[in-house]
Amino acid sequence: MMQKLSENVLDKFSMDFLRNQVLKNAYGNDDTVIAVRDPRILLVWYLFFGLVPWFVNDIPFLLGCFLFVMATTILAKVAGLVLFLFAVGVFSQTGYLLIATWIFGGDASAIAPLLVLTLKVATISLASVTVFSGLDPDRLSNGLMWFGCPERLSFSISYAYRMLPMLMEEFQNVLLSYRLRGNPPAHETVTGKIKYLVYQIKIIIHAFYPLMLNTAKRSRTTVEALELKGYRYAAVNKEVRKMKLSSLKITYDDLIFLAISFLWVAVTILVSTIL
Amino acid sequence: MSITQKGAATQSQKLMIFVLSMSLYGLATLFTELIPSFQVGIVEFSVEFFLFIPLVLSMLFDPLSAALGAAIGELVFSEIMLGQFGGLGELEKFITVTIGVYIAGRLVRNPKNHAMVGAAAFVGTGVQLLMGTVVDILKVQFAVADFEAVAGLPESVFATEGFAFLNDLLFSGILFCLLPTLYLVPKLYGKIEPLLGMQPRTKETGLGEISMKNVLVCLVAFVCAIGAEMAAESGLSLIDWESGWAESKTALAVSMVVAAVIAVAMLIVMKKRTEPIGNIR
Repeated sequence: MMQKLSENVLDKFSMDFLRNQVLKNAYGNDDTVIAVRDPRILLVWYLFFGLVPWFVNDIPFLLGCFLFVMATTILAKVAGLVLFLFAVGVFSQTGYLLIATWIFGGDASAIAPLLVLTLKVATISLASVTVFSGLDPDRLSNGLMWFGCPERLSFSISYAYRMLPMLMEEFQNVLLSYRLRGNPPAHETVTGKIKYLVYQIKIIIHAFYPLMLNTAKRSRTTVEALELKGYRYAAVNKEVRKMKLSSLKITYDDLIFLAISFLWVAVTILVSTIL
Repeated sequence: MSITQKGAATQSQKLMIFVLSMSLYGLATLFTELIPSFQVGIVEFSVEFFLFIPLVLSMLFDPLSAALGAAIGELVFSEIMLGQFGGLGELEKFITVTIGVYIAGRLVRNPKNHAMVGAAAFVGTGVQLLMGTVVDILKVQFAVADFEAVAGLPESVFATEGFAFLNDLLFSGILFCLLPTLYLVPKLYGKIEPLLGMQPRTKETGLGEISMKNVLVCLVAFVCAIGAEMAAESGLSLIDWESGWAESKTALAVSMVVAAVIAVAMLIVMKKRTEPIGNIR
């Protein structure tokens, strides 16, 4: 039973699974309520939910914000893997501190401040999950550009989303060819298992050698293609920027989204003042 | 074809290095982000497994482009793409990775000198980890309001962070930064540069010693990283100041709710009104 379960988990955790999850996260859901919002509105929204919780120590308010960003995350239909990573991340940031505090002689009084910290971290990371996973990468980079982020950042985002599947495949191919040619040590005993782990790590590091050379070639091609299109001049040209950003449009739905968020925050403030 | 002079790369070569470092380190950090970090007891092995990639690139090419590329690659691939973007906290990581990699790249004047390469890789990793540890401790101090009052918390934070730093430095500094760098730099030296249309870095074409100016800029950047975390503390006092007129707070909240309700209702009505016109068109 246990063996079957671990096999099952390992099956799921293959390279293809990872690639599919990342792709699904990037391109899989462009028809959700969150994905069709204007990126500028969402970034302003994120600025509130990503910053304000740090400054507030009021538990009802934090709880309200947390519930709201949880709702938006559900609306954004974020990939399961991302949510799993979120859970692991929150625990590793604050959960271990709680345990450590107990070991060093803390008691139940430690829970309240740590709960505040956990709520803060969870709210902020869920808000960023909503915005950065829910939005289409191109819309996101356009929105960032509108706010005057350097062209290089939006270029990096568009480039990353397009190149990543290819890079992952290439890395997998290199890794598999190394495995095919290599002779892994026997891994029945404990020392054998350690040797096997070291062997695996070694292979991964060795695999980066051909990958580096290949990527060097590819990045040269990319940059030369960009130069042909006059990228470095276009990046700083105002006319080009205007043309790129002309697709952004704020609709009533965007404003309603903002207004509902505002309403929710106002209600939580009201509740926290009454309590 | 451009001619490299005095080790300085042209703008397009810098862009190439940037793209190369970004995609490689981004890919690598994506894997580390996807593999849940394993914990032994209370200490988390939050190892920068793949920091050797930007380290190698910064030793062979223009250090600043490689460092910035690595930091942005990590930000874009593993934080933004997976929706793990943490706002201010990312700024700290961005700056520490940039400084660590840049310092390591500047230290190496001749990539053929193995001792220098090894020392630079170790120093770069150490600087990055040390800055991360300092910021981590400050972060907990400022985020938890009555930090000193909670029994056992300060000691546990210092103990876990300090232990994590030493453990990371010995574990990742040697296993995952020193050894791979020592393996990859000599192997790639002279082979990867022609692919980008550049000449290999030699003693003569190196960028020279680290000057006081570099150190100062790094220090200022680190202060910025701490400042990003300190913003939380100044924010706390902002809230305190607000509670001075707390007696009218409920009234204020009620009026906020009313305003929000009116705004939502108005927007819905306005949307309903515009829709038929849109359909006719």
